[in-house]
Amino acid sequence: MDRRKLIRKIVVYAVYILLLSSLQVSYPNRLGFGGQTADLAFVFVVLTGYFNGFVDGAVVGLIMGIVRDCLAPIAIIGIDGSVHVTAGIGMLVMFLAGALSSSFFTKKMHRNIPFAFVSIAFCTLVYKIGGHFLAYSWTFIVPSAGSYDLGFYEIVVRSCLLQTVLNLIAGIPLLILMRFAGPVSLSEQRRTSDDVIMSNEDTSWLQI
Amino acid sequence: MKKLLTTKWFIVLAVSLLLIAGIVLSFLPGSPLKAVVGISSKAVSPAQKSVKTTGNAFSDFWSAIADGIAIREENKTLKEEIADLKYRLNQYEEAAIRYEELKNAFHIRDTFSNYDIYGASILSREADEWFSVIRINAGKNEGIVLEQGQSYPVVDTEMNLVGRVIETQGSNSMVLPLLHEGFSASGKVNEVNGASVIVSGDSVLKRSGLCRVKAFDKNVKLEPGTVIVTSGEGGLFPDGIPIGTIVSVDYSNPTEVTAALRPFSNIGELEDVFVMIPFIADDKKETVPGASESSAPVAGGQG
Repeated sequence: MDRRKLIRKIVVYAVYILLLSSLQVSYPNRLGFGGQTADLAFVFVVLTGYFNGFVDGAVVGLIMGIVRDCLAPIAIIGIDGSVHVTAGIGMLVMFLAGALSSSFFTKKMHRNIPFAFVSIAFCTLVYKIGGHFLAYSWTFIVPSAGSYDLGFYEIVVRSCLLQTVLNLIAGIPLLILMRFAGPVSLSEQRRTSDDVIMSNEDTSWLQI
Repeated sequence: MKKLLTTKWFIVLAVSLLLIAGIVLSFLPGSPLKAVVGISSKAVSPAQKSVKTTGNAFSDFWSAIADGIAIREENKTLKEEIADLKYRLNQYEEAAIRYEELKNAFHIRDTFSNYDIYGASILSREADEWFSVIRINAGKNEGIVLEQGQSYPVVDTEMNLVGRVIETQGSNSMVLPLLHEGFSASGKVNEVNGASVIVSGDSVLKRSGLCRVKAFDKNVKLEPGTVIVTSGEGGLFPDGIPIGTIVSVDYSNPTEVTAALRPFSNIGELEDVFVMIPFIADDKKETVPGASESSAPVAGGQG
């Protein structure tokens, strides 16, 4: 990749990371519905991984995660019963989202736009189901964390499905931005084949 | 070996394990990951502030265009109101002087006179249902210093409970909101000898903006419309901070009657909050590290 393209990539990613993370935590009530909030940052990382491959997805995910941990971290009830602000969970979530999205629905679907939505839905469901599973497990490991009393309807409909729908809606403008004002120019996108995107990756692992 | 190190699965596994180790260590003071996040905070915060300011300016500009005609009419009415209010202000200023005289005379104790109250603006809110800690723009540099195991109440401009400070950094602090599952406060029914209750966050109710209320005594009757305030038990929250109103009561378990409470403060709409710090005697206050001269509270306690 020549230097000019690399600089464009870095600058555009930096702008989107700061802009989307800031919008996410500044106006969550305008992005939310029914107790869930469309996660612009998460969707951006998924789209980055899907369109631009593992390296971009993982790096953008890690940086987006640092910003997430910085602006709106998770608080967890610790073993001592007191509430702790954690660091790193945002990084882990976003990194895995970037890695996951670069591994599914990419090779066979040639990173086409309709399957970008499938990727968003898939990654969101994995994140939500994993999150609920970990939160549930945590209450077993740490009795002082109380009980995890969310029912099936609450988890499936009001958390997983609602979040997926909101993320899919958020995906529409982000997809347009990625396509026309993204880190890779439109002409470059047309020229670049899947083989080029994956040239530096180990394609034998989970490439569907 | 080189091929293994560059394979995707190996990178994902290694980074994930490193991050998990970092998360576990972040529970301890002086965690390296928290240091990284702290450093990035210095770079990210100004950007986030700019986006917020721009967003607000854009929103205000749009409102100005959309509401132009209404504003003109409102302006006319407001001018008349200003004239009336100026007259009333003069009267109230005199009344305030009288009040101070009476207060000193009868030693009326302010409800929260043992607290220094620091004003702060909300910088960032929850990002989703789990990333839900709120950040405010007052921290160690402003004199908000948390010792191990300490926490400070946070209230809104109407003195309604918003949450509590759980971590402070250089120029910002993390606030655990009232709706968070980890939040818990001793409360009471707002009447003479009101029954004691526990108000806590609940993972189901928080989606509707509600908290859970549990009564200590199973014979206590909780009814919709009952106002709950902090009881002062437990030492963290002073007595009498309004928390919210009970909206429904669950009698399904006769041995443990619980209720849903709607907080008075609407965290989603809040812009400014106040941190209440127990009043420190002057000699002790001098030893507080990081407190700058500009960190004077907006309303000092009377001791």
